[in-house]
Amino acid sequence: MEGRKGTLDLVKDSLSIYNAAVVGMRSEQNIGLAQLLQMLSGCFGEACTAKEKGRPVAWINFGVPSELFWAMDIVPVVIDVLAGLVAPTILGSDAMRYIDIAQERVPDYMCANNKVLLGAALSGDIAAPDVLVHPANPCDSNLATYPVLAEHSDFPYFCVDMPYFRNERCTRYVAGELKRLVSFLEEKTRRKLELDRLKQAMEYSNLAHEYFLKTAELREAIPCPYASLDVWAEYPAVLCMAGRPELVDYFKQRYEMTKERVDKGEGPATGVKEKSRLVWIYGAPAFDVLIFLWLESEYGAVSVANMNSNFVMKPVEDISDYDSILMGLAEKLTLLPMTRECGGPWENYLDATIELLRRYKADAAVFAGNVACKSTWAVIKLVKDKIYDELGIPTLILEMDLFDPRITSSDSIKAQFDKFFTTMIQR
Amino acid sequence: MCALEELTKLAADLDNPAVQEWKADGKKVVGFFCSYVPEEILYAADILPVRLRAPGCTETTAADVYMSHLNCTFTRSCLQLALEGRYRFLDGLVFTNSCDHIRRVYDILREIRPKDFPFLHFISVPHKASEDLVAWYRDDLDEFKGNVESFFGVQITEASLSNAINVYNETRSLLKRLYQLRQGDSPPLTGSESLNVTLAGTTIPKERYNQLLRRLLEELSEREGISGYRARLMMAGSGGCDNPDYFQVIEDLGGLIVTDSLCFGSRYFWEPVETGDDLVLSLARSYLNRPSCPRIVDNVAARCDFVRQMVDDFDVDGVVFQRLRYCDLWGGQLLHLEKELKESNIPMLSMEREYALGAVGQLRTRVQAFLERLER
Repeated sequence: MEGRKGTLDLVKDSLSIYNAAVVGMRSEQNIGLAQLLQMLSGCFGEACTAKEKGRPVAWINFGVPSELFWAMDIVPVVIDVLAGLVAPTILGSDAMRYIDIAQERVPDYMCANNKVLLGAALSGDIAAPDVLVHPANPCDSNLATYPVLAEHSDFPYFCVDMPYFRNERCTRYVAGELKRLVSFLEEKTRRKLELDRLKQAMEYSNLAHEYFLKTAELREAIPCPYASLDVWAEYPAVLCMAGRPELVDYFKQRYEMTKERVDKGEGPATGVKEKSRLVWIYGAPAFDVLIFLWLESEYGAVSVANMNSNFVMKPVEDISDYDSILMGLAEKLTLLPMTRECGGPWENYLDATIELLRRYKADAAVFAGNVACKSTWAVIKLVKDKIYDELGIPTLILEMDLFDPRITSSDSIKAQFDKFFTTMIQR
Repeated sequence: MCALEELTKLAADLDNPAVQEWKADGKKVVGFFCSYVPEEILYAADILPVRLRAPGCTETTAADVYMSHLNCTFTRSCLQLALEGRYRFLDGLVFTNSCDHIRRVYDILREIRPKDFPFLHFISVPHKASEDLVAWYRDDLDEFKGNVESFFGVQITEASLSNAINVYNETRSLLKRLYQLRQGDSPPLTGSESLNVTLAGTTIPKERYNQLLRRLLEELSEREGISGYRARLMMAGSGGCDNPDYFQVIEDLGGLIVTDSLCFGSRYFWEPVETGDDLVLSLARSYLNRPSCPRIVDNVAARCDFVRQMVDDFDVDGVVFQRLRYCDLWGGQLLHLEKELKESNIPMLSMEREYALGAVGQLRTRVQAFLERLER
């Protein structure tokens, strides 16, 4: 599978367009997003030049700890972020083209996040990686796409499996999987995992995480000191950059800026006067993230938190030896957003959601349900009822493809918000 | 009544006369989803395992209150029957993390009908068949065994488990003999009839089933073989393919289904359980390594090989790959299977369907076109 444009040029092209687009979306007011893009540029830029520098490239999926890869000097390309965030937002019709190419070979109801990557790979617009590593979580679409793509295109792959119930036994199982993953990576890439480098990556990861947790606490303030778009940016930042010093700088700056605003009693830098607080209890339309700005300007509705950025787990406490680090990483993985909510019993989703809504004093929950996410759609009625019973707040249920505006357009989503604010919030 | 007729009648309903007789003896019945549940453990406890499906379900209105139209109609149909009380004859249910749809049925039933199924157990099956994970699965099965023992107040001894494995292995052997009869030019039974036979095996006591299978094999030895068909077909694809009428539509057009790669068909019984010192470990290893469904991620190539092997062994002209709408697992498999079969010059028809038989006109048109292609 040779890249039509060369190694990961798709990514490079996307990012240059994206960087230009950010200027047009008031980037000075959405500093977190702008910084995220800068980091992603650096990360994907490394992937673009990896081959010529003799560094292996790994496609990884969320639920696989990037710390291990950075520590082994393997460049991880988080394909969810590439396909789910960058491509649809930026490439527009190209992303739709990739989805269409994929749908010639797999059913339309598979996740468009998977289909963008699949279409790009099948069309040769992205070069094959040295290895692909994906988790068995959180959904069948992931499980069905990546091993088949790897077999189809003939590159090595590894699945990090995770049991259904999350407990101590589960953590040990996942730690065992991570150990086998390291062996796999060492064999396929001929890179050795040095403990010192792993410890350093974990130190960066932990420090960034501590800043994140402190910032998340500050975000509870009324008015929320954080721009809606910046909250949304945190998930891809952690997925791609955990284990790198850039992430420490990113969250340190986020923390300092947020603390200053809270101390001054200020709302987000976008200047919105907070009238209501929304918590997104699943994803958000990746094809139109400007919806957050529209909600702020049209309704004073600040999106104060979302499921994906709900990293409530602790940093890895014991990084003194290899086994302790793997146990710590395994425990984090079992609690990773999305993996936690969608990959296990529904109580995992419910409990995390109720806690998130309560913590951030939400006036309403928004379920931007991806049409491909069968596991959440199967229980959203139960979740919605419980949210109302326990917190007395409404949930707006939107059906869309998070990555494909042809299923539900931005205008249609906005019309549903209009109706929601008219009938529910102002009641 | 001949054995085939009896088996066909028993296959038509889960709460069938054989189950009712079992219950009349004061014995328990436990339903289960998915072919990764080792039934032998239940059978060893003198509990009848019944694999869940939803024969006769014509609407999913009650289930749709909870599940979405984006969930597959197999699971919605099963939930519908559960909510209608048509699984009340069951003393318990066993689930696995087979797929996103099935695991959510477990969640919904626990939440809204906690008392309907006093025994509810969930087995977390690994997604890989590697030896590293067999031991873990073994421990999960051991926990399952312990829960069965404590809840039902029974003891599963080495002898009873060994006996159950032997009974089930005999079933596997008899079914394989039945399938082998279909390898010849004039198979003695249709694909639709064969499906009824395997379905019956998932709903009645295996000892009785084995007797019926032995009788069936004898009867079939005197039955005139089928000839004059247009093409020899193989059915492959997703779970929930348990409607003989679906097969019948295909066979009415002149295609003869001679084998399959279905979890209600060959994949249910193809390999025996090889026993060692630790019987639970034997079950774990055998079940994880059986011809797999795509939920086992490291078996992509092996699944294609299994289909190819079946095509060779049964002299198949074309493969009908059917899958339930919204089944991601089999949907993704399509990418690789299509390529592999094409490279092997094996024609394939890819069909999407709902659980209940519908859109028959479209099905006929597609199959008719496929048969014409095969005849060229």
